[in-house]
Amino acid sequence: MKFLTALKTALGLAPGCEKVNEFLAEYVEGALDETTRAHFEAHMNMCKCCDHYLDQYRQTIEMTRQVEEIPVPAELAEHTLAFLRKNANFPSSPQG
Amino acid sequence: MESTEKRDPVHGAPPDEGDLVTTTAEGAEGPISLEALMAGDEKAFEQLVMQESARLFRVIVRIIGDDDEAQSILQETFLQAYQRMSTFRRESKLTTWLYAIGINLARASLRKSRRISSLEDQEVERMQPEFNRGMFVDTPAVWDPARVTELSDRQQLVRKGIDQLPEDYNSVIILRDIEEYSTEEVARMLDISPGAVRVRLHRARGALRKLLDPHMRRMPRN
Repeated sequence: MKFLTALKTALGLAPGCEKVNEFLAEYVEGALDETTRAHFEAHMNMCKCCDHYLDQYRQTIEMTRQVEEIPVPAELAEHTLAFLRKNANFPSSPQG
Repeated sequence: MESTEKRDPVHGAPPDEGDLVTTTAEGAEGPISLEALMAGDEKAFEQLVMQESARLFRVIVRIIGDDDEAQSILQETFLQAYQRMSTFRRESKLTTWLYAIGINLARASLRKSRRISSLEDQEVERMQPEFNRGMFVDTPAVWDPARVTELSDRQQLVRKGIDQLPEDYNSVIILRDIEEYSTEEVARMLDISPGAVRVRLHRARGALRKLLDPHMRRMPRN
């Protein structure tokens, strides 16, 4: 199958892995136009390498999204308001 | 294969609504009047501080990796925003403008403290997949689903990987993949084109994938 994909690419009938790879960010974002997406998916259906890479790419994004939460200090906004009252002539009461 | 019929299947993030949201900023206690903010209304600005402090703080911490310094930068961000409110030109959401100030301050602090990432731009380039005559040189391994979902130190690995990325790559991955801002919003925050955001994001993900790869492969059986 890799040979068939390579042959089609060499003949200019389909985009190669490198070209497809360039479009991954747009593809996962749904930003490709219909024609480009169709070429992209036709290649993916034939190419195990790109299919595996896309899986890893998606999993990387998923794992990044699940990175640990950053704890927010209590009264963070209040401390910022206190700083502004001191440095930006804010009203003295938090309630204004 | 997953269809891309739905917009943004990875993030589900809404597109930047541009002008539609420049007249108000939605707050916990209702919309904040942009006109009031522009007129220097402290009450409206206070509402903005209450609304945006936590998220902006998280973004800054992720960029600089220091809670105390992040608090100082957050305060400086709101001070600059308050003092420069009249320079806001309504070409983006107010929050995008605010975050751009915070991100610039965070990145300046990062450079000043010389806390540099361990990877250089050229290394990120080398961590991208290899092609020969437009085709993959090696077939990427299939990752072990059990390791992907169950690895106990997975979050730490990802965090460490993101921290290793050079500043330009680190920022886009934090804003786009973690905070899930739209590509257009990230472009405005970083003052680069949406195309540049996608290129940096793609390379950052490629580098991160490479760093995670050895940990996610199926363990060979004895």
